[in-house]
Amino acid sequence: MIKLALYGKGGIGKSTCTANLSAALASLGKRVIQIGCDPKADSTINLLHGEPVLPVMDYMRKFDEEPERIEQISKIGYGGVMCIETGGPTPGLGCAGRGIITTFNLLEQLELFERYKPDAVLYDVLGDVVCGGFAAPIREGYAAQVLIVTSGEKMALYAANNIYSAVKNFEDRSYAKVRGVILNRRNVENEEQKVRAFTEKAGIEITADIPRSADIIKYEDMGMTAVEGDPECEAARRFIDLAKTLISEDEKNE
Amino acid sequence: MKNVSKIIACYAADTSGVCSALYELGGMTVVHDASGCNSTYSTHDEPRWWDIKSNIYISALTELDAIMGNDEKLICDTVSAAKDKKPGFIAVCGSPMPMMTGVDFDAVAMEIESRSGVRTFPLHTNGTRSYIEGASEAFEAVVREYALPQERAKNGVNVLGLTPLDFPLGADRAVRDWLSENDFECVCTLAMGCTLEDIGKMASASVNLVVSSSGLAAARYLKEKYGIPFVCGVPFGLEFPYDLAGAMLRAIESGEDCYYSASHTPGNDLVIIGEGISATSLACAIEADRGVRSTVIAAQPIDEAMLGAGDVNITAEEDIERFLADRQPAAVIADPIYKYITPKGIKLIGIPHFAFSGRCYQKHMKNMINTDIKEILR
Repeated sequence: MIKLALYGKGGIGKSTCTANLSAALASLGKRVIQIGCDPKADSTINLLHGEPVLPVMDYMRKFDEEPERIEQISKIGYGGVMCIETGGPTPGLGCAGRGIITTFNLLEQLELFERYKPDAVLYDVLGDVVCGGFAAPIREGYAAQVLIVTSGEKMALYAANNIYSAVKNFEDRSYAKVRGVILNRRNVENEEQKVRAFTEKAGIEITADIPRSADIIKYEDMGMTAVEGDPECEAARRFIDLAKTLISEDEKNE
Repeated sequence: MKNVSKIIACYAADTSGVCSALYELGGMTVVHDASGCNSTYSTHDEPRWWDIKSNIYISALTELDAIMGNDEKLICDTVSAAKDKKPGFIAVCGSPMPMMTGVDFDAVAMEIESRSGVRTFPLHTNGTRSYIEGASEAFEAVVREYALPQERAKNGVNVLGLTPLDFPLGADRAVRDWLSENDFECVCTLAMGCTLEDIGKMASASVNLVVSSSGLAAARYLKEKYGIPFVCGVPFGLEFPYDLAGAMLRAIESGEDCYYSASHTPGNDLVIIGEGISATSLACAIEADRGVRSTVIAAQPIDEAMLGAGDVNITAEEDIERFLADRQPAAVIADPIYKYITPKGIKLIGIPHFAFSGRCYQKHMKNMINTDIKEILR
């Protein structure tokens, strides 16, 4: 099974990359679950034509009890992708990291993976690895690999390095390993060179190179991914290539 | 508000369940919690503290350690203590603070084991669940870890789920004597009067006697792994122990599990409140010895298979109070603290439950195993 977590600086395009990758895997016939781990709960919205799923934390707030069935906290989106959002507490209150852990415990209780039997699970995680809750997706049994989304901008690379160091700190714990970087281009000067300098120093690779694309913005405005809107466009083809690479690696591992 | 006890006490929490279950096994139990909390787990909820030594540690978690996620202190201190004490195993478990900060006990246990060389397992307590859940996870963990394949002994019995939270001290001796009178061979009394060596031999038993809900998960594991059937029930009273022994022999023959204490006839003469298997067993004993029928309220989360027809699993104070007012039984049998929510005109027969009232009524706790319960119920 492909088990991936995507991390990166806020606003760098993690949800865009995750949703397009989910759509690409689904278009290649894979059964996919995407779990948004961000209180904003907007990770899966472009797989759902703008009709959001009720986040797990919202369900608990609304009904004051835990959901009993997966269907109560999930929606099926483009290509059959099962969409789940952890959501979070009211902004300014509570503990969002704890919300992620609670959601994961709940998904385990509901036997999500045993019942749905996915080929791929993608975790789209908010910003940096800021606390224990945001490391939950890389714990044993969840994601096996991490893809760091970055551009060539200084602060994005700074965050990427922090994420890389945080994941490396957990080497003794059988946590996920950093698989590589998704270069989500912002067309800054010497962008590839800057990102390559980071990846070479860290000993990881640029796994995918996503061009700055008007298609992504166009289809997001229509509530869908580029992979759904125009699978032939350049950005979509890059995500489909990434999906093929991951599938092929997964088949080799199995 | 649901599940808030405004009048009565609350039951011991999962952390106490873990400490109680592992108390006599020669391991080291480390609770990741603030300094001072050890007295809750090891004295208020533990009557053996005065007579039997045990390695139960608190990590003395501070506010700053919690904020900084300083797992290293917990790991180093545990490894250091293990070097001094040389325990048979290490169990690490949590409390509310590490629950909030999301400490990964699986990973912490892995690191402690790799640095200390002592088998270490995580137990996922958070101080908000029932003692039954904590004890249950601890029992299952040690049985998974230490029970080894054995040749089957004829009429060998494991007793699963014995802790002072549910039974008075000496209950292990009483159940051993009863087994012996009925020509059973007692293999292990998990975990009062029990060692890791006894657990190693558990797979030689022909039947498991589950005496509390805490023992059920271990029983199910032993059934799945070694095909040993289990029977639920506590041999309370004079007649019921004979019936229970018969059920155990039938289980050995058929290989089928049996929730035997759930077989009492429903009735509204009495309402018995307590841990599920003890309470249903008491209902069976009273029916067999006195011909009186009871309804059981299991006041902790429970697998409903353990309850008899008409029995209920309700945990909220106001629901229990309402149930008693609706049923209007002649008497209620429960821990003495329940008198405060027993409606006027209904008699309360107090049987102290250590997991509920701790040391308050400890001197009034009496063994009911294989003994005449007439005096106790007077």
